Amino acid sequence: MHGEYKTPGGKLVQVDLDVVDGRLQNVRVTGDFFLEPPEALEIIAGALEGAPSNASEDELACRIAQALKRLHQPVELLGFSPEAVARAARRAIS
Amino acid sequence: MSELARWRKYRWQLIYGEAFDPAMQMALDEVLTYRVGRGERPPTVRFWEWTAPAVVIGRFQSLRNEVDLEEANRHGITVVRRITGGGAMLTEPGRVITYSIYAPPELVAGMSFQESYAFLDAWVVEALRALGIDAWYQPINDITSARGKIGGAAQARRHGAILHHTTMAYDIDPEKVPRVIRIGREKLSDKGVRSAERRVAPLRQQTNLPRETIQEFLIRTFAERHGLQEGALRPDEIDEARELARTKFGTWEWTAILP
Repeated sequence: MHGEYKTPGGKLVQVDLDVVDGRLQNVRVTGDFFLEPPEALEIIAGALEGAPSNASEDELACRIAQALKRLHQPVELLGFSPEAVARAARRAIS
Repeated sequence: MSELARWRKYRWQLIYGEAFDPAMQMALDEVLTYRVGRGERPPTVRFWEWTAPAVVIGRFQSLRNEVDLEEANRHGITVVRRITGGGAMLTEPGRVITYSIYAPPELVAGMSFQESYAFLDAWVVEALRALGIDAWYQPINDITSARGKIGGAAQARRHGAILHHTTMAYDIDPEKVPRVIRIGREKLSDKGVRSAERRVAPLRQQTNLPRETIQEFLIRTFAERHGLQEGALRPDEIDEARELARTKFGTWEWTAILP
């Protein structure tokens, strides 16, 4: 399943995922955004892995923000946000 | 510190002239960023020449979502992935102006990432305006004009240095772009119709000047504003980049890292 969201004045986020037994699986986050360090992309996608498919946009965004915080190094998202990824994910699910 | 004082703290070196294939261009950016970060070469600005057409996709883009591979193949266009984020662009020899800036992070100390984009391209906007083109910076990363988008920039911060590179359309056929680069529907949502979003206004539509004249004027503007010395790629830099083009940027594994 595929969902997209473009932050106004920012960049496009695309989320591809499967829902298996009510949980998100094989989550992939791509787009024309900027992210430092690039390895943080796996953290963002990984934060959604296993999330309940009925999780709200806020809950999904929170999972991403917390996972990035656990990285213990500065992560810079430019043109998108945890909320933008969560919205694209919600769109993929519904 | 004033904008110019920031630039003028460094002895900038110019690399310019030699043409490379698309994978080699990507590799040179990584090698030169690394070398500037380690203090092995001075802060550098490189103007690119291409030997072959390419679609260059951003570090975080899905290959298949962005590029019609069959169509690219049919037109003899190589697809490569760069190390910076941002969107896909079509480049053809003699039809774009591309440059890279390899700089110490202190150049943009205290600026947000977004501010640093406008700062690092300010000399180009200034030069285009001096050539009579009504250009301005459109955050986050576009050089644009009343007639449409001219170009876009992308950055990476790696190995203790900043890589900032920008491609401007000089004579790209706007009709050709959507044939090889797909445009997501959602992307158009806050910019209205497709033609407005992807409306590219190549420099040649906005001035009669040859590409070389514009490029030379850009270099002169940089030199007058920031100081600039002629330089060249060192043989060991070229060797290292060739190896990296072979083992990374020319491989399907890297290009399709996000399939």
